[in-house]
Amino acid sequence: MTSVSACRELVVEYGHGDGRVRALDHVSLDVAPGERLALRGRSGSGKTTLLHALGGLVEPTGGEVELEGRPLATLDEEARRRMRATRIAYVFQGANLLPTFTGFENVAFAIRAAASPDAPTDPLMLLGLVGLAGKAEHLPGEMSGGERQRVALARALGQHPGLLLCDEPTGQLDSDTGARILDLIDALQREFGFALVTATHDEDVAARHDRVVELEEGRVVRESA
Amino acid sequence: MTFAALAFANLLRTPGRTIVRVVVLAAAVALVGAMILFIGHSLRTMTSSSVRSVPLDWQAPVASRPAAERAALAVSKQHGVLDALPVATAPFAGAIHVKPGTGIFRSASGSILAVPETYTQNIHTIRFLRGSLRPGQVVLDQQLAATLQAQPGDLVSFTAKAGRRPVRLRVSGISVVSAGDILFQPLNPLLGPAPAQPPVETAVMTVGTFAQKLAPQLPTIASSSGLPGIPGSVPGTQWQVQAQVDPAQLTGGPAQALRQATGLRNRIQSSLPGQVNFVDNLSESLNTATGDALYAETLYIMLALPGALIALGLAYLAALGTVERDRRELSLLRARGASRRGLVALAGIESLFVGIVAGILGSGIALLALRLVHVGRGPLTLWRVVATVGGCVVLAVLGAAAARLGAGAAALRGEVAEGRRPQRPRRPLWQKLYLDVAALAVSGLVYWLTARTGFSAVVNPDSNPTLSLSIYMFLAPALLWLGAALLLVRLRGALLETVARRVTGGRARTLSGLLLASAGRRSAAINRGLLLVGLLLAFGVNLGVFASTYDQQARVDAQLTLGADIVASAPAEALKAHALEQKIAHVQGVAGTTALDHSYAYVGPDLQDTFGVNASTVTSGTTLRDSYFIGGTANHLLAELRAHRDGILVSKETVTDYSLNIGDLLKLRVLDHATGRLRVTPFHVVGIVQEFPSAPRDSFMVTNLDYLLSVTHDPGPNVVFAKTHGDAAAVAKRVGAVARPAGASVKDITTQTAQTVSSITTVDMSGIAKIEEAFVVILAAAAMALFVVLGLAERKHEFATMASIGSSVREISAFLWSEVAIVLAGGLALAALLGWLLAEMLVAMLQHVFDPPPDHLAAPWLFLVGLAVAAVLGALLTTVAAGLRLRRLPLGEILREQ
Repeated sequence: MTSVSACRELVVEYGHGDGRVRALDHVSLDVAPGERLALRGRSGSGKTTLLHALGGLVEPTGGEVELEGRPLATLDEEARRRMRATRIAYVFQGANLLPTFTGFENVAFAIRAAASPDAPTDPLMLLGLVGLAGKAEHLPGEMSGGERQRVALARALGQHPGLLLCDEPTGQLDSDTGARILDLIDALQREFGFALVTATHDEDVAARHDRVVELEEGRVVRESA
Repeated sequence: MTFAALAFANLLRTPGRTIVRVVVLAAAVALVGAMILFIGHSLRTMTSSSVRSVPLDWQAPVASRPAAERAALAVSKQHGVLDALPVATAPFAGAIHVKPGTGIFRSASGSILAVPETYTQNIHTIRFLRGSLRPGQVVLDQQLAATLQAQPGDLVSFTAKAGRRPVRLRVSGISVVSAGDILFQPLNPLLGPAPAQPPVETAVMTVGTFAQKLAPQLPTIASSSGLPGIPGSVPGTQWQVQAQVDPAQLTGGPAQALRQATGLRNRIQSSLPGQVNFVDNLSESLNTATGDALYAETLYIMLALPGALIALGLAYLAALGTVERDRRELSLLRARGASRRGLVALAGIESLFVGIVAGILGSGIALLALRLVHVGRGPLTLWRVVATVGGCVVLAVLGAAAARLGAGAAALRGEVAEGRRPQRPRRPLWQKLYLDVAALAVSGLVYWLTARTGFSAVVNPDSNPTLSLSIYMFLAPALLWLGAALLLVRLRGALLETVARRVTGGRARTLSGLLLASAGRRSAAINRGLLLVGLLLAFGVNLGVFASTYDQQARVDAQLTLGADIVASAPAEALKAHALEQKIAHVQGVAGTTALDHSYAYVGPDLQDTFGVNASTVTSGTTLRDSYFIGGTANHLLAELRAHRDGILVSKETVTDYSLNIGDLLKLRVLDHATGRLRVTPFHVVGIVQEFPSAPRDSFMVTNLDYLLSVTHDPGPNVVFAKTHGDAAAVAKRVGAVARPAGASVKDITTQTAQTVSSITTVDMSGIAKIEEAFVVILAAAAMALFVVLGLAERKHEFATMASIGSSVREISAFLWSEVAIVLAGGLALAALLGWLLAEMLVAMLQHVFDPPPDHLAAPWLFLVGLAVAAVLGALLTTVAAGLRLRRLPLGEILREQ
């Protein structure tokens, strides 16, 4: 079965000269369709970098990243854009909603970018799925942290992704809100069947996933199911 | 790491932002620096022009020739005096030239000017047309030469006084006495200059010749003060000392030069007590120039200061571009233990670096700009360069510090956590007090009040010019600027926000809907751009329209001052004998001509210039505007003149002073050339004239040429006006070739317009206008570019998120260029409205300066289009560059930042 996303001997470095840092050091990983994978590690372990690399947001210094069996390096700009629009979605730690759009418009923007016949077309329906139909016309600044994360989830669903990448989705939320967000993600994952990769430092969050890959100083040090 | 090293590293870390800050600050200080340099240069130019316009600086009456020679010698040795000479003026009863084979030619009474042989070296009241001044001989003024039909080498007999033996003198030259009104004026040091009607017939000879041959026949008068300044009224010889001030001693602007000249005169008089008391023609001219200089300074400030302030606003914007990020950074630094003093020091040192570079760059631009417009060709002294650089650096450092510290002020004042929270905008005090509305209201009120008073301004009669009323006058445009700017800030793009909300309702789905929704919610940021771009473009429109109208009026004023495109002046006999009007009419490039007689007449005790015109042909040679007349159009009043042979147009002051009505009989005393005496002549008032080509600002009269000649027994007109096709200077050369051999002087409007005399309407606006227009065009492009750059910087995270969602670069760019388009469109509309309004206000406020006032504003379309194109190009190029940048955004790195 073709992986949704994979990396082979991946190396990612930042900076120049004496300040150059190796964030990922020869990491190899596969994400199967529908799989729930957690990337766990302390701050600076490389989990966010690996997440971004899998999603094509970061250019590898060495090694290779594949999306649905196709090497990212072989894709042109338009093909990458299409990948990001229709196959990969993100939920960032701070939600990263577009501040000048309402909840409705944030979801509509993603639907429009995807422009996929398979994707949902009704932002209100998606907002309803995350329980925020009543906040459709609110701006991100008028929502709580949890509400912003739920809108981010609705936006991600608007892309009808094969892979959802979540970077510390509960990092800025209190434990109760965070738990509800995680429950929602789980429910949507079961509903829509996308692969889920979550970067987290939290053991309990990681435990909700089918597989946990532990990272330390840019290397995979442990894998557990 | 020291604070200096840290500050330097911080600047290098964001090279783009640093360069933008430096460039915009440099432009702002360059504008201010150029303005100050230009003002200084213009004031010095006004001084030198004012000094040049005075042919004879000082005259002191003395009792005798020995007294004149003693005093002249003493004065000439004084520091600051270029030359001082003993001179005499005296009357003669008549002159005769017996021309063998032709007849006997006689002149009426006239005046003698006796001067040393070296007179014309430093005093330029006489211009020799032929020959020169020789001891024992006489130089005839061209009018006298024409009357006597005499040439150099001929013998002419002068009778000093009726009944005395004539004195024969050989003619050694023919001259033009160009300052007869000053040379022969009554000399009363207490009253000052009192220019008199110049004598018709003048003879020039050396002091020795006069003293030997003619002076013994005439009484010597100690002083001509108290005598009327009319020919024939001075009964004897007036000895005097004439002196010229060294122009190099008069430095700086007219006010400073006036103080220097007055001080010099007082020093000389006090060092030679009882010997000389000067009539000061120079101070009179400098006093007038001082008043004009004050207006010039105010005008320049009004035109340049808004631009400089807006440019500083751009610099402030550049520094505040990432105010939120700066605020968070500073708050984090404080959280990590940095002290407030340390942060202030860091910001201050950064500002110092930016300010020094910007100041040096800006001063270089200012100096170069002045060179490029051919201003400041005079010595650019080391002191001036140092002062310019120093001033610009100080200004730039202050501007940079204000922006930088303003950005960090909130973080420096507040708690750490508060610094990290997004700031909720608070309504400032001026908004609560509605200062913007108040400013606009007061602006309108001041404008209305000054309009009611006719926009006149006051200059303190104690030669100490003050701007008492002028300050209020300029409050109107100043408050309009301020009120408009504050109102724009208050509105914060409310209109856009409302429209967006109504159209999209928070549920936009299409690209256009999303663009509108985004713009509506970024209305404050858009408004910020609109404010600066709009005000900058408005400044450009205001400047361009005012400068263009000013140039237009300068040409009109030059034509009014000179009289026509080309003016040829000659003695009446010469004009008639050589049929000059007809010859000039046939010169290539001449469109039409008219001849007129410029003479004088007394209305009561007032001597007024009188113009005899041919009412049927006058408009062939010059332009008459309806605004020149009161109570009728130009055509109507010319028709009245044609209908009444003895009709006369008089000034409003004459009508008021003598309680005249249309149709009233007006008896004038005119000079009868046949007898050399004044005779009472009846005229009838047919209209009121307030302006006339070549007429002075004082009261004057216009009448029919043939009637005037019939009563004055003048041989004919003495002036020809000519209209031209095309280049007046080129046509004037051809007219000169025809007219000068007849002894005529020829002037053209191009040369007249280019001359800078002591009058604000001929103060050279083109230099400062070119400099400022160039700056505005560059700043317009820079302002749009800055808006794009700031927009990209502010929304980098947002655009990265869009890209991560899969939006195309084209669509992401649309969010940038749609805002640019709104700012550009709004800015151009604001510029058209506000800029035009300000120009109208400024032109209306300077009505009394323009002579005549403009009928309409002049639009410099080339510049205005260029300005709009610069703004569009600046936006376009930067948006394209931004699009390329968007393609290369490091998404991962940006999205990691929270």
